[in-house]
Amino acid sequence: MVPVNARKSGQQTTVRFLNPKGGYSVLLEGRPSRTIEQLPGPEVLYLPLVSRRFTFSEVLVKEGEQVAAGQVLARDPDRFSLPLLAPQSGSVRLKAAENHIVLENLAASPQRVHVADERPSHAPRESLSVGEKREKLLALGAWQFLCDAHTGELPDPSGTPRAVLVSTVALDPFLARGDVQLRERLTDFARGLEHLQSLLEYQPIYLVMPEVQSALASEVREMSRGHAWVQRVEIPLRYGMDSLSVLARRLGLMRDPQQPVWALRTEGVFAIDNVLTFSLPCTERIVSVGGPAVESPVHVRAVPGYPLKAILERRVTEEYVRVINGGVLSGEAVGSDQLGLDAECSGLTVVPDHVERELLAFVRPGWNRRSYSKCYMSSLRKPFVERLTTALRGERRACISCNACEEVCPARIMPHLIHKYLYQGALDLAERARVDLCVECGLCSFVCPSKIELRQQFVDAKEQIRREAEEAASEGGEAV
Amino acid sequence: MKWLLRFFERARPHFREGGRLRGLRPLFDAVENFFLSSSLRTETAPHVRDPLDVKRFMFAVVVALLPCVVAALHFFGLRVLVMILVSYAVGGTAEVLFAIVRKEEINEGFLVTGLLFPLILPPALPLWMVGVGVAFGVIVGKELFGGTGRNLFNPALVGRCFLAIGYPVAMSSNWIGPGSGFIGRLTEYVDASHLDAITSATPLVAAKQGTFADVSDLFWGNVSGSVGETSAFAVLLGGVFLILTRVANWRTVLGTIGSFALLGGVLHHVAPDTFGPAGWHLLAGGLLFGAFFMVTDPVTSPITNGGKWAYAVIIGAATVLIRNLTGYVEGVMFAILLGNIAAPVLDEVAIRFRLRRLRNER
Repeated sequence: MVPVNARKSGQQTTVRFLNPKGGYSVLLEGRPSRTIEQLPGPEVLYLPLVSRRFTFSEVLVKEGEQVAAGQVLARDPDRFSLPLLAPQSGSVRLKAAENHIVLENLAASPQRVHVADERPSHAPRESLSVGEKREKLLALGAWQFLCDAHTGELPDPSGTPRAVLVSTVALDPFLARGDVQLRERLTDFARGLEHLQSLLEYQPIYLVMPEVQSALASEVREMSRGHAWVQRVEIPLRYGMDSLSVLARRLGLMRDPQQPVWALRTEGVFAIDNVLTFSLPCTERIVSVGGPAVESPVHVRAVPGYPLKAILERRVTEEYVRVINGGVLSGEAVGSDQLGLDAECSGLTVVPDHVERELLAFVRPGWNRRSYSKCYMSSLRKPFVERLTTALRGERRACISCNACEEVCPARIMPHLIHKYLYQGALDLAERARVDLCVECGLCSFVCPSKIELRQQFVDAKEQIRREAEEAASEGGEAV
Repeated sequence: MKWLLRFFERARPHFREGGRLRGLRPLFDAVENFFLSSSLRTETAPHVRDPLDVKRFMFAVVVALLPCVVAALHFFGLRVLVMILVSYAVGGTAEVLFAIVRKEEINEGFLVTGLLFPLILPPALPLWMVGVGVAFGVIVGKELFGGTGRNLFNPALVGRCFLAIGYPVAMSSNWIGPGSGFIGRLTEYVDASHLDAITSATPLVAAKQGTFADVSDLFWGNVSGSVGETSAFAVLLGGVFLILTRVANWRTVLGTIGSFALLGGVLHHVAPDTFGPAGWHLLAGGLLFGAFFMVTDPVTSPITNGGKWAYAVIIGAATVLIRNLTGYVEGVMFAILLGNIAAPVLDEVAIRFRLRRLRNER
C-alpha cells in the first residue's frame, strides 16, 4: 500500500490523506483551555500500581523507607522491568491504600527543566551508544511513552522498528492537546526528534500533524523542513483519524511482529528530550482536566500520584459526576479505589452522571441536540458544542442495519457485521471479519441508535481471542 | 411533568418482579418510554451517546408520511383516519401480546408499520380486512422472525401480500374516485356502500386498456388508487425529507427509480404502442411510494452499499417487468418482496468482497 497523495516540498515528502473515510468529531462542552496550570505541591502522593498497560507488581521499597526523587519504587516485570519512579522525595507507606504506593512527608518539587534557562537548540552529541540511550530512556521513565502503533503495547527497547510515528494530534474531545503542549516548546520538540532519530539507523520518522492553517502549524512545518529525515503527514481534524493504528495502516505500515512500528505522541518526544538532553527522570505529565462537569477546564502539570481529589475538588461542584481516566469516548471510569493519577494518565474527564427525563423527547424538534444523524432540527445549525451527561439517550434494541457504525469507523471494518457474528457466538467469524483491527475509538457505540455496546463487545472479543491463542500456544508447547 | 414521573415511579413496582402486574411489564415500559425519555445510563466507554434512538428514527418516517396522509384525507375522506386507527389498534395489540408472551420489549418499528400499512390499501377496503392484514403482517412478517431488526420482509408488504392473495377481489375493486376542489372529500366518510364514489379503474388498470391518465393528475394525486400512494407530490415531499434526514438511503431510492426509468424507457422505445412511457409509469401506482418508504427500510434492505445498488436495481427492473409483461397491473409489492428475499444474499456477496480485501490487511 502506498501513502495517498505524496507531495514533494523541497527535499521533504508531505503525505496527505485524500477522501478519508470514517471518523467524526464529537463537539462537547468542557474542552480544556490552552493554558497549562501548575498545581500546588501535594502533601501526599498516591501512586497507583496498575495503569492501563502496566502492572508494577515488583515493589522495590519498604514501608517507611525514605526515597529520593527519581528513585525506582517498583517495576513491571512483564514489560522490560519498566520502572515506577518516585516523583518527589518522601517516605513510603505501602499499606495506607490498597494497590498504591503512598509517599508522605514530601520534599519540595525538584526544579523543572522546562523553566531552565540553558536550553541547547540542537541535541548535544553524546558518547552513548544506541543501546545505552534506550536503556537510559527506560531507566528514567521516558520509554513508557512509546508504544507499538498496532497493538498499543510497550515496544522492546532492544528491538528494531520499521518506522516511527510521532503524532502531535489528539482528537479525543478531552485529552491533552498537542498544540497546547507544543506552544512555546517547539525547540525542545525539534531536539527530541533529533534524539529520536539518533536511536534509529535508517528508519523513517513520520511526523503527524493536523491539516490546518495556523501560526503554530506553520512553525511546525517550517521546523520539520529542516529535518530531511522527517516525513510530514497531514491528517484531517476528525476524531478517529489520529489513532496510531489507523495512521500506520494508512501509511502502508502493516502489522508485522518482526518489524514493529513504534509510535509516540508529543509528550513522548519531550520525555526523550528531557532524558537525553538533561538526564532528568520523567516524573511530570501534562494532564487535561475537562468535561461538561468541570467549571474551568484546563491543562495541568502534575506528577503521577497527585491526589485526584485535590485536582477535582475546586473544579467540580456538581454532586453526581463520573470521573473518567482518559477521553470521554474511550477512557475508563475511575473507581473509588483509585486515589491518585496513574503513570499513564493524560486526561481526566468529568461528566455529569444523571439523566434528565424529557416529556415526549422523541417528537421534539431537537434544536439543541447535536447528532451524527440529520434527524434533528439542529442539523440546520452550524456546529455547536453540547452539554452531555452519561444518559444512554434511548433504549437498547436489536440492530436495525442503519450502517452508521460503518460510516464512522476509522478502521474501516464492519462493526454491524462483527456484532452479528458475536451475537451468534461465532468468535471465529468475528476474527475473520477482522475485529482485531478495531481501534476502540468508541465512535460506533456513540452513534448507534440501537444503543448496542459495540466497542465493549469488540474489546471483550479481542481479549477472548488473545486468551484462546495463548492457551493454544501453551498447549502446543506442552505437546512438544 | 413531575407528576407524570411520580406516577410512573409509583406504578413501576407493580410491573416488576414480585408485582401483581409483572406480566404486563413490556406494556408498562413501552408506555413509560413513550412519554418520558429513557432513564438508562451508559456503563462503559463511550460514556456519552448520540441523541438518536430507534424511536426517533422511526418517528422520522412517520413525519415523512404525513404529507401522504393529508393527501389521502383530501382525496379519499375521513375513512382514511379510521383505517389508520384500526391498523394501529389491531397491529399494536398483536405487537403487545407478542411482547408479553416473549417477555421482551415492544418494538418501535410498529410506529411505521401501523401507518404504512393502511396507506397501501384500497381506500374502501372493509375495516376487518385492514385488521386481519396488519395482524398477519406484524405476526408473520415480523414477530415470528424475532421482531424489528430481525425481520426478513417488510411487515406492511407481507400483510398486503396476504390480503392480495387471500382476498383478490376486494383488493382490486375497492377503489374510490378522488375528491375534487379545495376541500376534496375532507368532510366525507366514503366506504364501499357509496356506490357513486366507487370506481374500478386505477390509472394502471386503465393503462392496460390503452387509456392513460393525465400526468398532472398523477403528480398531484387526483386519481384513484391506494390510500397514500396516489399523490406523487406528497410522496416526494416526504421522500426528500427522509433522504435529507438520512433515514432513507439515497442509493436505494436512486437505484430503484433509475433502473425502473431506464428499463421502462427501453421497453417504451422498443414498442411504444404496447408499453407506456417511463415517465408516466414512474408517477402511476405505488412506485414512488415504494421507492421512498418501502425499499429504503434499513432492516429489510442490504446494509452494504454495493448490495443496496443491486437490490434497488432488482426491485426497479422487477417492477417494470411485472407491470408490463405479466397479468398484474402493479408490480411494486412483489418486486420489493423479491428484493427482500435477495437482500441477505446480496449482502453476503458484498461482504465477501469486503472481507477478502480486509483479510490482506495486517
